[in-house]
Amino acid sequence: MKYIVAGIGGQGILFATKVLGHIALGKGLPVIGSEVHGMSQRGGSVISHFKIGDYQSPLIASGDADIFLAFDQSEALRNYHFLREGGQAVINVEHPAELAHPRLQDYFRQRRITLHALDGLGLIREHLGGKFLFLNVLILGALCGAGVGNFSRDEMRQAVGELAPARFREENLKGFDLGYGALAK
Amino acid sequence: MSRKDIMLGNEAIARGLVEAGCEVAASYPGTPSSEILPAVAHWAEELGTRTVVEWGANEKVALEYAIGASFARKRSCAIMKQVGLNVAMDPFMSIAANEMDGGVLLVVADEPGCYSSQTDQDSRALALFAKIPCFDPCDAVEAKAMVFDAYEISEKYRVLTMLRPTGRVNHCRQAVECGDGVIPGRPLEFRRMPEGHRILMPMTMRGALERHNRRFEELRREFGTAFGKYNFEVPAQGPARLGIIACGLCYAVVRDVLKALGRTDVALLKIGTPVPLPLDLVQDFIGRHDSVLILEETFPVVEQQLLDRTKVQGRWNGWVPMEWELSPEVITSIILRALGEPAALPAWEATLEEARKALQLGRRGPRLCPGCGHRPSYLAIRKAYPDCILCSDIGCYGLAIAQKAVDTNVCMGGSITVASGIAMAFRAEGKPASRPIFATLGDSTFFHMGLPGLASAVYNKHPFVLVILDNGITAMTGGQGHPGVGGKLRPGEKSGSVDIEGAVRGCGVTHLVVQEPYDVSGSVRVLKEAWEHARTAEEPAVVILRHPCITMLKAPPTPRPVRVDPDKCTGCRYCLTHFNCPGIGWDENTKKTFIDRRFCVSCGVCVDACPRDAIVFTGEEA
Repeated sequence: MKYIVAGIGGQGILFATKVLGHIALGKGLPVIGSEVHGMSQRGGSVISHFKIGDYQSPLIASGDADIFLAFDQSEALRNYHFLREGGQAVINVEHPAELAHPRLQDYFRQRRITLHALDGLGLIREHLGGKFLFLNVLILGALCGAGVGNFSRDEMRQAVGELAPARFREENLKGFDLGYGALAK
Repeated sequence: MSRKDIMLGNEAIARGLVEAGCEVAASYPGTPSSEILPAVAHWAEELGTRTVVEWGANEKVALEYAIGASFARKRSCAIMKQVGLNVAMDPFMSIAANEMDGGVLLVVADEPGCYSSQTDQDSRALALFAKIPCFDPCDAVEAKAMVFDAYEISEKYRVLTMLRPTGRVNHCRQAVECGDGVIPGRPLEFRRMPEGHRILMPMTMRGALERHNRRFEELRREFGTAFGKYNFEVPAQGPARLGIIACGLCYAVVRDVLKALGRTDVALLKIGTPVPLPLDLVQDFIGRHDSVLILEETFPVVEQQLLDRTKVQGRWNGWVPMEWELSPEVITSIILRALGEPAALPAWEATLEEARKALQLGRRGPRLCPGCGHRPSYLAIRKAYPDCILCSDIGCYGLAIAQKAVDTNVCMGGSITVASGIAMAFRAEGKPASRPIFATLGDSTFFHMGLPGLASAVYNKHPFVLVILDNGITAMTGGQGHPGVGGKLRPGEKSGSVDIEGAVRGCGVTHLVVQEPYDVSGSVRVLKEAWEHARTAEEPAVVILRHPCITMLKAPPTPRPVRVDPDKCTGCRYCLTHFNCPGIGWDENTKKTFIDRRFCVSCGVCVDACPRDAIVFTGEEA
């Protein structure tokens, strides 16, 4: 299973891939991934590659990712090409009209891509006092809520609880549940 | 009980260093190498070793620390990024031909793709230049294993040895085994040695050079015969239609690409010790194939060591691009082309590209953090002198190019000396500078390489203003200590610190003012006075604009929330182009700016950035 996680520096993307790695390691699955550190973290585009299974390189090729988590809509647009035919995307959407653009919809149809969109920032404003730092766990919750990926709600929730700093644990779990609820059928 | 942890390549290298008995580790931070030294301290705590872990003021300092510790028979290590090795070239070349005592490693992280670097360099080429051995790991697990072998080689041949990961290996995340044993440290021993050892002088080179060259050939033989774990073949099933020689990350990518393509008719030779190249192995592989592709990042270091390239498809004949990373996509297309089966671009790529164009997807460059003290510093310099020549330096503040503030940016410390050069150019015209000259650099960069430039400017009486942007940390690379602030990586260790004002005065500067950059109008006044002094006294003046790095604050600053008054905002965009804060957004519908609450930290400084006074404190309205 190959995941691409994309967003903006400061959104906690590296924490999200840490959670995925933590669960996979616990299950004894081989994992390898790649992160971008340094200058890109100063509010620039950030992308993380994460592969579970028998792989040698940390990079995912264009057209090859099973799952795409996008914390930001324009970073989503920048990175859709990573998705394979029939891949699935969980996207934090602020501007639904842009997502509905006909050429973009053409692309989704051509590649048979399933979109799971949610208004993460709206949810955080409404239920988490506007603390946008929790967007990352909200997206992980949404991933489980959408029923995408190899991890169950319980194991993901447990990993979030274990890896979050003690003083933010409750809010992280709340964010996770919020994301789960937004996309659970 | 050994266990596996998910760790970064950098953390794996650090784990290897501690387990392999490295007793002295030194570095200067630089992406993608910065996490190694803190991880050495972390693992040393966990494994209970006494390893001395210290930042040097620059990379030359760090490498000389490692050399000194090796002379005292300790296993040592210096860690840096590729640009850092340029700073450390003097000890690097001077020590190359010497016979070392304790094993000494140079970990130098290259960065194909230039994500956080202003140069594209392949440090393996410098290993070849210095004639020292080099290991080129393909992932975190191999990088850790290579640390042990590099120490063995370093001690067996008494030679400085290079471990050269690329950024993708430094920042790959993988399950890596944590051993519980540590190779015991060596007792310190400093014996007096005959000439030619440790005393590097013209008269000691005779004999040393011959010995050095002989050693290089012995290493080549050993790499060709005893290093099958890093240099091995992955044969084709049946006759091979193509041979590929791959190094480092390229090897791992080729493995995954061949698997994805379902190709079993390609033979692969992995080379993990590219310098000196085990020629017998490589020539034998080439001899057995009709054509051989060579994939390595980023210079043709293996390729250029070959004696005969007629069967080779590489950079010399245009099969492999000279620039940028060899990504999975690039490697796939090179392999397919070499097999005579080039792939057409799929139709969906064009559709997606059209959507991106229609939705006007732009580039998202890195920017200074909201609340950063550098932003008002540059605003103040440009407000004081819109026409000044502003020479900047390497650090976060280089991002002020997005504020239309910066004119030059060369290398660590280059702000001061380039400003000097411009002052000398005016002097060569025989008249005073017609435009104010400013240099800006950070506190860590000042200690890294700023001091010699400042001393020279005082000596030569160069009129310019040096602005030290003092945020009390090495910020760009994630908040490391430096001589100006102290702080050490092993818990409980004491550190000293150098007073920046004292250092500046010690260089002979007479005009020195410290100023808070959040006070923009105060800064403008101070900067103007400084230039007046520099111009009239014909000597450098120094202003320290001091505000702590926002990412290092323990508690948030007192909020001074603001809003944009839409009646006053004319949509001139000055705040966007000259202040450039993520907390100020642009509304396409109203053609006015607004405060983007997702990013704004309510520092209130942008009130001074609006020429129309349209940004107002919310508290003052009630």
